[in-house]
Amino acid sequence: MIRFEGVSRRYGDRAVVDRVTLEVPTGSICVLLGESGSGKSTLMRMVNRLVEPSAGRVLVSGRDVAQAEPEALRRGIGYVIQSVGLFPHWRVAENIATVPRLLGWAPERAAARVDELLALVGLEPERFRARFPHELSGGQAQRVGLARALAADPPLLLMDEPFSALDPGTRRDLQAELRRIHASTGKTILFVTHDVEEALALADHLAVLEEGRLAAHGRPARVLEDGSDRSVRRLFGEESLAFHRLGTLPAARLARDEDAEDGLPVLPAAASLKQALMLMLEQGADRLAVPAEAGFPGGTLHWADLVRAA
Amino acid sequence: MSRPLLWLLAQAAAFLLALWAAPRAEGLWRWLFPGIARPVWESQGWFTLLGEHLMLSLGAAAIAGAIGLGAGILATRPGGQRLRPLLDAVFSLAQAIPPVAVIALALPLLGFGAAPTLLALVLYASLPVMRGAVAGLDAVPPGVLDAARGTGMGRAGILARVELPLALPVIQAGLRVAVVLSIATTAVGAVAGAQCLGTPIVTGLANGNMAWVAQGAVFTAWLALLADRALRLVLARSTG
Repeated sequence: MIRFEGVSRRYGDRAVVDRVTLEVPTGSICVLLGESGSGKSTLMRMVNRLVEPSAGRVLVSGRDVAQAEPEALRRGIGYVIQSVGLFPHWRVAENIATVPRLLGWAPERAAARVDELLALVGLEPERFRARFPHELSGGQAQRVGLARALAADPPLLLMDEPFSALDPGTRRDLQAELRRIHASTGKTILFVTHDVEEALALADHLAVLEEGRLAAHGRPARVLEDGSDRSVRRLFGEESLAFHRLGTLPAARLARDEDAEDGLPVLPAAASLKQALMLMLEQGADRLAVPAEAGFPGGTLHWADLVRAA
Repeated sequence: MSRPLLWLLAQAAAFLLALWAAPRAEGLWRWLFPGIARPVWESQGWFTLLGEHLMLSLGAAAIAGAIGLGAGILATRPGGQRLRPLLDAVFSLAQAIPPVAVIALALPLLGFGAAPTLLALVLYASLPVMRGAVAGLDAVPPGVLDAARGTGMGRAGILARVELPLALPVIQAGLRVAVVLSIATTAVGAVAGAQCLGTPIVTGLANGNMAWVAQGAVFTAWLALLADRALRLVLARSTG
């Protein structure tokens, strides 16, 4: 879907993005993770040409974005930012319909789309469509921001620290919501964050950036597995690396094929080993029952196996 | 109708009534200025002077508005940032020259009458409009501009549909200052022979007739205050 080919961005002598080559598979959530100044936002903003690369090229669906007319390109790519950037003088419905209006949709079609999107992001259309942005909480505003980005049904979404300014609870709600929306729409999402937990909660594909260079990339489990890379260890924290690694591994795979005893705490098969560990700690148990689910026959997860896996 | 609006209408009515009554109140003027032989201003009608005064000052404010807004937009474009100190210096200089000096300097070129007055007023009133436009446009949140670009709006679209509407309250405040300055300053045009509420002041000064001076001065100040109130009220409604 997106290919960065040897992309650099220099300001004077300083390379903010330094020869990055990266492929984002269609339909995946790719998280660009790095500290501030690592070049992750700059890299993302090259996709819709808010920043032009000094060298290299960016391909979207096989086409070099430098050949595209910037405004037309941007109307075909959803864009969500940390400060939300809702237009304060427009109502929620007008904000969401920004791109449809630019594309010249008929008003009825745009209005129907607005209601559909409000429902998708978990806001009741009747209650919210006529509100102004200042009448929304931070979480509601970012839901509207997400709906605006999805309005013209673009295949690709760019999200620049969209949840970083929200309270932790709201942030986790929106992360879950995003996973749900991603599962139901199959969009390709390029997601920028500096938050390790958030990256692991969302990423199908993880790219770690440090000082403009791509330090590691791949499936999260793989990135943490050969956590030999110094910058990855630093970012995730040397002492908690094993803990984060557990978060990338599915619990079901380690469960022994034996019927669980009655009275054991129950862990859903889709849970990660990190969730398994938390449940064991909370319940004071060294075994967990993992009930059968589609594609999984059921079994028991042992503390000893979990510790070995980390 | 709201109370502030009723109050404003009452004040406007009082002003017009005073203009109507001025030539008819010979007794009042004689009592106030006992030493003056002809204290009543009869050369022109007060309403004629008011009309000319408003034409001059509103015309000047409209021109100053267009120039100031244009300069403000230019100074806030990415390519115009470098022009900003220059524009600010030019507009500040234009305002720093007293209108009466501008009129004196322009007389040989533009002759007597409305033209030099208009020039002086435009130079005087452009700065607040530009300052207001720059402040208003600068205050548009960067996140909003980023979102506008990111959603694929063009430059002109962003200016017309996002920046100007958001900057409007501050731009209007600048325009209000320009209108009030212009109305208050138009009286100076009388020295160049422009017909306005300043005409009795200048004529009175030349003839040692303090009654005419006082009447012209009172009506000029009154009109400026009235315009300030009216604009505040109208603008508060349109943005509230």
